[in-house]
Amino acid sequence: MIEVKHLTKEYDGFAAVEDLSFVIEDGMIYGFLGPNGAGKTTTMNIMTGYLSPTDGEVIVNGHDILSEPEEAKKTIGYLPETPPLYGDLTVLEYLRFTAELKRIPKAERKARVDTVIAQMGLEEVSGRLIRNLSKGFRQRIGLAQALIADPQTLILDEPTVGLDPKQVIEIRELIRALGKTHTVILSSHILSEVSEVCDRVLILSEGRLAAFDTPEKLKESVGSGMIIYVTALGSEEQVTDALRKVAEIEDSSVSDDGVHVRVRAAESGDIRGEISKALFEAGCSVVELRAKETGLEEIFLHLTGQDGEDKDGTPDEKGGRT
Amino acid sequence: MTAIYKKELRSLMTNMTGAIAAASALLVTGLMFRYYNLFNGLLTLHYAVSGSMLLFYIVIPVLSMRSFAVERSQKTDQLLLTSPVRISSIVFGKYLALVTVFAIPVLMMCIYPLIMLSFGAETLLWDYVCIFAFFLMGCAYLAVGMFISSCTESAVISAILTILFIFATQMLSSLFTMISGTAFTAMLFLLVLSVTAALLVYGMTKHFGLSMLTLGVLGAGCIIAYMLRPDFFSGRTESVLRILDFSTHFSDFAGGVFSWTNVLFFLSYAAVGIALTIQSLDKRRWS
Repeated sequence: MIEVKHLTKEYDGFAAVEDLSFVIEDGMIYGFLGPNGAGKTTTMNIMTGYLSPTDGEVIVNGHDILSEPEEAKKTIGYLPETPPLYGDLTVLEYLRFTAELKRIPKAERKARVDTVIAQMGLEEVSGRLIRNLSKGFRQRIGLAQALIADPQTLILDEPTVGLDPKQVIEIRELIRALGKTHTVILSSHILSEVSEVCDRVLILSEGRLAAFDTPEKLKESVGSGMIIYVTALGSEEQVTDALRKVAEIEDSSVSDDGVHVRVRAAESGDIRGEISKALFEAGCSVVELRAKETGLEEIFLHLTGQDGEDKDGTPDEKGGRT
Repeated sequence: MTAIYKKELRSLMTNMTGAIAAASALLVTGLMFRYYNLFNGLLTLHYAVSGSMLLFYIVIPVLSMRSFAVERSQKTDQLLLTSPVRISSIVFGKYLALVTVFAIPVLMMCIYPLIMLSFGAETLLWDYVCIFAFFLMGCAYLAVGMFISSCTESAVISAILTILFIFATQMLSSLFTMISGTAFTAMLFLLVLSVTAALLVYGMTKHFGLSMLTLGVLGAGCIIAYMLRPDFFSGRTESVLRILDFSTHFSDFAGGVFSWTNVLFFLSYAAVGIALTIQSLDKRRWS
């Protein structure tokens, strides 16, 4: 269990994290979600004892990270954003070094090193120099290092960034498997990743906690209004008139391909059928009809209250980019 | 600590670093030994050892520049600082590894007096005192170099600053004759030091009032003391600068005198270097 109480971190008067409080229970996978600069990495760095907070406290599995750092650090495995690897060591040497560094008793070291090598699929590269290995392998070595002391809690900072899609899936599966036996905290700015893997999501915005809930509830909280992109042939007036009957129009434009409209369904449920019907009845043909998952940015804008307050253009623009 | 010591030693030995350090050490000391002892027929080693100080300009920065600077730039310090080890253990482990690598060529130097023995030399103890002093001085420089490395992310900057430090501490004794010994210049010099101290306080605490207080107390102290007892200041510039004067402390040893004061001088440099490195790493977490 990790308790974070009124955590504040200031850099030269600028607060990267401000009065952040939450509790991480055992046995679940937590996701830190937020855009770059929201304070995810800073929070993780403080939780692991790499940085010290300006104010507030962090209690890791019963030990205060400032007053009992060694006890607290023993219960954590940390994979920072850049895996902390020494290029001039081989994988095996590196893992032996980290095993000793993390105070694994001498008799158990070899067994632990062998276990994580098998767990992370590093057998074939174990004798190679780390500097010659690909990003995917480096990430796995980083994970192996975090796992080596078999800590209660794993903290992973953007574990899938920079990997190819196949590796992303592999790492996600690994995390899911690890989540069965460990408490896992990971950070990401990809909503789909978090909602797929995590049991609980913490959304950070400008160093503050904007939301803390299950992914399902967070999605619900944004409203079930589905966003649909429509491209139809016909005059702009014809198309928008027809669409206004079934949904709320957020944006429209005309190009050579036809009329592009973005609409938001007023209620929950799939309204694509109704849209195509309405357009057909108005004599317009549908060229493209595409529904968009509610993205992080929408949830994010919604939760940080920027949704309706800004002038019309801003949320539209941001919503359209994802 | 042993984990870091072993890993560091391994890295230094397998990188070019250890090889460059050992090779240049053997080249320089070997040349000096050949020139002074074998070629010119001196029976004692102290000229060769004094001449070998040139070596510090290469070996010290090569060994120490990477120690913390690269750790920081490659973000591997995140592993060390989030592992259940104390910062002091990290620093000690690294420092001992540096000292070990430096000790290898020094141990090889210990063969030279034995060679001289066959030419009828009778100054074995003196020679070993010289080599010991050389080693101590290297250890002091390594600690300072490690501290400089912990202050920057660039190994190159660290190396340059370390070389400048070595240069200053080696050349200082020859500059003393050019330094004015009057009380007034000494007072001015101490005022400049007060300003530097105030700037350092500001740099470390970012507290304007505190740095002004430091400046006020030290500056006023200097001026008042000068007005009351000007004779107290005469020759003070030199005595303050002596803190940085490595070569004089070495020359005592080279003259065959083993003095604990000089041993303590180098050991305290090593201790201060280590302590400052620990402080520098700890402070970075709070900034």
